[in-house]
Amino acid sequence: MPTKQKGKTRFFVLIALSFLLFLSGCGEFKDIDKMVFVSMIGIDKSDNPKKPYKIILKLYVPTSSFRQNPTPQYSYLIKDGETLAETIAILEAHLDKELDFGHSKLIVLGEKMMEDEKNKEILDFLIRRPDIQMISYVAMGRPNAEEIVKFVPNGETSLQPTLFNYFGNTGAESSFIITTHLFDFRRTMNEYGIDPILPIVEINEPGSHFIIDKSIILAKDRIPYELDAEKTLFVKILADSAKSVFFTVEREGEHFVTRLDNIKPKYRVERDGNQVTIRIKIKLTGIITESRNTLDNRKLPEYNRMLEQEMKEKLNALIDEMKMKGYDPFGFGLRLQSHTLPKDRMTDQEWRTAFKNAKVEVVVKSNLKSTGSIQ
Amino acid sequence: MSRFYYYLILINMIANIISAVPTILLRYSEDGSVSALILGVFLGTVIVVFFTKFFNAFPGITFPEMLVQTTKKWFYYPLLFLMAIMWFLAGVSTLITYTFLLIRFFTPDIPLTLMGLTLVLSVIFGCFMKTDRVLYTIEIVFLINFPIIVFIIFKAYTSKDLNWDFIKEAMLHVVEMPNVNAVAACIFLSLGVVNLVIFNRFFTHKQHFGLKQIIVIAFIASATIFTTYFVPIGFHGIKEIDELVYPWIATSDSMRMRFFLIERLIYVFLLLYLGMAFLSILIHWHVSVELFKFIFKLEKWKYKDLNIGYGILILLFAASSLFIILTLSEYQLFRYSVYFFNLTAVIFFLMPFLFLWIRRRMKGADKTKGEN
Repeated sequence: MPTKQKGKTRFFVLIALSFLLFLSGCGEFKDIDKMVFVSMIGIDKSDNPKKPYKIILKLYVPTSSFRQNPTPQYSYLIKDGETLAETIAILEAHLDKELDFGHSKLIVLGEKMMEDEKNKEILDFLIRRPDIQMISYVAMGRPNAEEIVKFVPNGETSLQPTLFNYFGNTGAESSFIITTHLFDFRRTMNEYGIDPILPIVEINEPGSHFIIDKSIILAKDRIPYELDAEKTLFVKILADSAKSVFFTVEREGEHFVTRLDNIKPKYRVERDGNQVTIRIKIKLTGIITESRNTLDNRKLPEYNRMLEQEMKEKLNALIDEMKMKGYDPFGFGLRLQSHTLPKDRMTDQEWRTAFKNAKVEVVVKSNLKSTGSIQ
Repeated sequence: MSRFYYYLILINMIANIISAVPTILLRYSEDGSVSALILGVFLGTVIVVFFTKFFNAFPGITFPEMLVQTTKKWFYYPLLFLMAIMWFLAGVSTLITYTFLLIRFFTPDIPLTLMGLTLVLSVIFGCFMKTDRVLYTIEIVFLINFPIIVFIIFKAYTSKDLNWDFIKEAMLHVVEMPNVNAVAACIFLSLGVVNLVIFNRFFTHKQHFGLKQIIVIAFIASATIFTTYFVPIGFHGIKEIDELVYPWIATSDSMRMRFFLIERLIYVFLLLYLGMAFLSILIHWHVSVELFKFIFKLEKWKYKDLNIGYGILILLFAASSLFIILTLSEYQLFRYSVYFFNLTAVIFFLMPFLFLWIRRRMKGADKTKGEN
């Protein structure tokens, strides 16, 4: 029936056209020129005890073209407040545009904030807000978040803040940089048997660039514990996130540096009554890159043995230190939980004492392939 | 089996990743969810087998047509009405969840009504299409979305951030007694097969349904349920996983694609699931519309040449779903979803008994009448 079909089509067109009424002016939707994008969030402890939080937002300043403004320009919003959400709401009144957190990739927490046991509160806010990415990086700023957020190192272009490139193996692939995402921070914060660890961001002495090679372990109810560069490296090795590690061996008259490209740690945690045994097995593959003395290709097995001993000593020392202080960034407790039935699981307190008295066995298997281009 | 049959089952499973199902499962994560998963997969597969075997025996005949031939009016009208309402609600629950999601993550500035209305209007006209057209629509959208969804899930499993220790820790809760609500939510995942009550119209030839097909379905069900439940745990730990209102959205937000066009995967994920939610609502509401059509004989409600019956139904659907969207809070949505899943689980478990009855009566019923 063609007439009926025609009537139907007309009716449909009419309905479709009436939808256009809904599009009147996009009254509720903000165009990009009405928004300002936050690039970093800094959270510091303020001096005012009534308003404990100091929020620093680094905002991108829009430029018409890259050629006109090759040097980066940012504007900053700083405000003290009692709660984070409220403070940001007040900050929004300082702007003519709407704040958009969707592109913020880094959250810097001030050093003083760490000692304040406020992490739960901060995390709560950051997770609760849907536009803050869960894959944004979290770092600790030294001496405080404000300086780190405001600092623009030499050579930074207006393409993106240099600081982002340090994390997530996008730019730098250093084995000293711990990368912690927001969701990772949250899960390690909540879970028993694993402690969150954050990288420490510093500015070097003349003030030209960042240094990120230390890290800090935050335990739930104890003061944070700082790790220097070397310990950070070993934590990364044990956590299977180190890409390529330079490791110096100095013993028996030899002094050489190895480059370990392939590091495969495996660990098992076993429990017998209240005695916990941690068995760590690490496989290393690499080459020698530097040496004081002339090396001999035939003696590679011996160099292997030296590397194994050296590595074992260092790892043992680190784990012993962690044990003594009671910090567990590796997740040994979690590993134990993962093969214990719920009714047999230790409480947090029990685990902590068990961890302190744990036996640690480290086995290192190294495989040095060559002495480099020369012997 | 025809590929369209698998679409029906798969879409219901995949689309429910964003609905209340994972929230319910994860709420009882330390309270008997894991054993409920196993039981749920098993019972879900049993339901699928019963339904498929039954409908396969009468190719091309819809459930209402069978009921007319075999049962009394006082019985089948209320039953079909109940099913129509339930399937409407199943669509609404997906709709609400998705509206909330879009508001929360995509466009926080757009008012709830407008968002809901846009979604309702984009789906509702599709529901009045012919059954085969609906299936063709499903195929197109599904084939575009499904490979990317599989890719994302593959990325999730291969991600270094997925901590298997959490997953193992969660798995060991298997020793607890299964939780009833979790079982029901799990069974709901497999209830895509119930759509055959109307979609059987399309399957006019008797199809082969043997052990191989059952194994495929059981495998799909277990893989989906495993992913639905354990991947969020792997990314967010088990202790406070129930804190997350949308576990899967948080999970997709935790995945990072370093060298992809968009680094933040959540937007890709939300767009893909917009397609999936569309399909899920389309299927559920198509069934619901067809049942309503049958019950109230809507084709006959005519004013001059215009079919007001359909108009009324559209208005009713749009108005009631908008009303529900505006009144429900997230917590209520969760609570009512629990009741709803429990109800569906019970009802569709009783269905096979009805099937036995129908089957016996159908043998005696006039064969030629059924084919009309």
